[in-house]
Amino acid sequence: MKREITITINDEVHTATVEHRYLLVDFIREIAGATGTHVGCGFEGRCGTCTVVVDGYAVKSCLMLAVQADGAKLLTIEGLARGEELHPLQAAFRDLHGLQCGFCTPGFLMTLYDFLKDPIDSEDAIRHAMSGVLCRCTGYVHIVAAVRQAIAVLAAMTPTERARWFPL
Amino acid sequence: MNAQKPWVGQSIKRKEDHRLLIGQGQYVADLTLPRMAVVGFVRSSHAHARIVRIEADAARALPGVLAVVTGQDTAHLGPILSDLSVPKLPGETKRPIFGPLPVDEVKYVGDLVAAVIAKDRYVLEDALDLVAVEYAPLPVVVDAEAALAAGAPLLYPEWGDNVVYHQHLQHGDTDTAFAAAAVVVKERFKGHRCGASPMEPRACLARYDAAEGLTVWLTTQRSHIKRHLLAAYFKIPDSKIRVIAPKDVGGGFGVKAPLYREEILICYLAMKYGRPIKWIETRQENLLNIGQERDQIHELELAVAVDGTILGLRDRMIANCGDARVPIYVSFAMPWLGMMYLPNGYVIPNVDIDLTCVVTNKAGLTPSRSFGSFTGRFAIDRIVDIAALRLGLDPLMMREKNCIKTFPYVTATGVNVDSGDFVGALKKLKAAIDYDAFRVEQQAARANGRYLGLGLSLGIEFSGLSSQILVPMERQPGFGVATIRFDANGQVQVAHGDQPQGQGHDTTISQVVADELGITPDDVYVISGDTQAAPFAAGTLASRMGGYTTSAAVMAARGLKPKLIAIARHLLQITADDSAFEFRAGAVRLVDSPQQQISLQRIAETALLAPTELPPGMEGGLDHTAHFEADTTGMHSCNVHAVTVEVFPDSGRFRILRYVAVDDAGRPINPTIVRGQLHGGIALGISNACLEEFVYTVDGEQLTRSLQEYLIASARDLPYIETHEHNVPTPHNPLGSKGKGEGPTGMVPGALGNALADALAPFGAPITEMPFTPERLWRLIEAARKVDD
Repeated sequence: MKREITITINDEVHTATVEHRYLLVDFIREIAGATGTHVGCGFEGRCGTCTVVVDGYAVKSCLMLAVQADGAKLLTIEGLARGEELHPLQAAFRDLHGLQCGFCTPGFLMTLYDFLKDPIDSEDAIRHAMSGVLCRCTGYVHIVAAVRQAIAVLAAMTPTERARWFPL
Repeated sequence: MNAQKPWVGQSIKRKEDHRLLIGQGQYVADLTLPRMAVVGFVRSSHAHARIVRIEADAARALPGVLAVVTGQDTAHLGPILSDLSVPKLPGETKRPIFGPLPVDEVKYVGDLVAAVIAKDRYVLEDALDLVAVEYAPLPVVVDAEAALAAGAPLLYPEWGDNVVYHQHLQHGDTDTAFAAAAVVVKERFKGHRCGASPMEPRACLARYDAAEGLTVWLTTQRSHIKRHLLAAYFKIPDSKIRVIAPKDVGGGFGVKAPLYREEILICYLAMKYGRPIKWIETRQENLLNIGQERDQIHELELAVAVDGTILGLRDRMIANCGDARVPIYVSFAMPWLGMMYLPNGYVIPNVDIDLTCVVTNKAGLTPSRSFGSFTGRFAIDRIVDIAALRLGLDPLMMREKNCIKTFPYVTATGVNVDSGDFVGALKKLKAAIDYDAFRVEQQAARANGRYLGLGLSLGIEFSGLSSQILVPMERQPGFGVATIRFDANGQVQVAHGDQPQGQGHDTTISQVVADELGITPDDVYVISGDTQAAPFAAGTLASRMGGYTTSAAVMAARGLKPKLIAIARHLLQITADDSAFEFRAGAVRLVDSPQQQISLQRIAETALLAPTELPPGMEGGLDHTAHFEADTTGMHSCNVHAVTVEVFPDSGRFRILRYVAVDDAGRPINPTIVRGQLHGGIALGISNACLEEFVYTVDGEQLTRSLQEYLIASARDLPYIETHEHNVPTPHNPLGSKGKGEGPTGMVPGALGNALADALAPFGAPITEMPFTPERLWRLIEAARKVDD
């Protein structure tokens, strides 16, 4: 069973005919060529590194079929920065050593993108928010610190400035 | 111009991060080649069985399937292990004989049976389901002690038993030590099977053409060693193989150090079928096959004098090595090194250790951060506390009394500990954890029916392994190597042998070279991982970067300086001794007259593009390679950790209140990167000790095949980790720096086990086994309560 679908990824429109069983993460990586989104588990949704934003919500793209995203707008790690300017969350990860091997990083960035729209600035809330993504390198300490910096930077912006960083 | 603050010691932002943060990292999975096919493996559902028949016609008939390959098809390739890939250690060693695919027998659940090549992963997975394998089950043994019993099923019948390695290590006179002891404590400790499982599973892409030979993109920590072993196996020259570890590898932690059967097979398939073949390991395959370590039993005895002085140690150590078909390590190199590090940071003059490494119907052990010593460190730190309790001594005092105090110190097992300061580190730790106040709080809490505990651990961490150790252990060099090469525009290229898997090597190497040459880290770029571009080295292992490879980079820069100065002298038309020059602000200049300077860019341009302008008789070009061996057999750091917990006895659950680490990085090159290594290492240790376990049933079924069953700690499962520096530079390398990667993980189980035992002291619950699950603790508490009733 195949179907033609159209998915917009980081403002780029991709139309393809895919099998119904074709996973969204494969559409993103293989058809759109956006390999910044990764796969780290057996498609059981535990590692979280495949997380992307679908119509505004963080979604594990290995747990969604591409056909379910027909007509949707997606944001992936490649779409976070505005030209040369890093998203405050990306900048915070860089400033505070929130990543090592970088394999899980897309999952954290896209999960936390969703969280940062309406964040709670507490260690517990941040750890809860990112518990769906696994990291083996950092022990999460510097990631928590990076999220707190991003919260502070975004809070200091005007609503218009802030909205710029949340296109979806 | 003011003197530039040294780059070494600064927490500059990592050079690696930008590309990773914008989604432009490039891992093996991201690579695609024309005509590329994918390969996957049929794996055994039996722990031990004869392969009767493989029915693959249905799979072969599926459109998009290119081939199904079985052991019969690869039998001509011959055995994989050779003298190049078996450790040559002093004990009695046996060698499993096996090829890339089993011909007639599988030895664990997840073992290779057949390979399927298809046009894409969807077809591949359909085809894998269509391969029917008929098995004739054979007797199974999964328990190491059962495997040692007479009449146990044999993994390799030609051996006559299931012992892959045995060594009896004695030093001093334990009999006298034990006879003189005021107290002898004896306990049986058990470490469960767990390990490092990186977030990126294994991946391999191999391409062959007759002119260039084989090109292999591989998730590996050691491209040169793998190239050499692959070439020897296929009987082709090293020059016809190029192994490339991409700049981005998603974590290694030791798991990506061996050469695996799958990798050999994929290279063969790429040659045989003449098209690029790619394998992306599934998480299920990963959890069934690799990342499994720590599986050890220690029957440990400690002889202690009445004042707490440790007099001697005896251990009967048994390691469950699984099938041991793991080239380079053969699954016993880890427990062997674990044995060598058993006395750890304690002064134990007399030891008697009997190590037996046993094969069973489990997956073979593969290296995992803390290499072989996780369980032994747990055992030694626990038994020191047990002895302290017996003697009515304070655990901190026990450590102050017995830690290594004079350096260099050679342990009874032969490990050279060059430098450190345990006494000072313990003092810092005592203050940081507020030791005395915690004891008061603990007493008050107990009076209120709350169970708090504090545990300590103390350990040495190697900073690379010297050739004296690595040659017999793996027939590999311990040296660090770096080549520095100027570009014509004055940029500096550093090629080195230890490709990263997230450790920030590009950044740290750039920092040390920047200091040497008076430039900035941005003037330096780093190459590693590609056998056609990087110099030969053993690869990334044993925390080598901080002690060995950065030292090689320093020595390469220093080796180039006389030529840089000679060219500067010539171009400036002055005469002055080498010592009159300095490297500052991108130039070579006179110390006393800094305006007399010439830029490195001009020097490089001259050496590379205009050799006619060089001093008469000087060769053109501007590069230098250094191989660094320390003038000692072992550089180490000395570290102490403390953890406090609260245990809830009705459920057996517990909470880590504080985790405090005091660590020695010698001279940290980038303190934030060091801290990141500590956080990650400790997190792995906590996750291993509390959550992770590869569970095998008695008949060898493996129950933990997904991350839903093999539990890796999330942010919610872990505490904030507090780190303090207590640095003692090593005198054995140019910067005094020490590696920081392997060690932190092994510090966890001792500290945490001691904290739990301390909390549960009112119940007298012995903490001797991992993982520390609520169920295990609850059972211990319940058993103690029943005795009380």
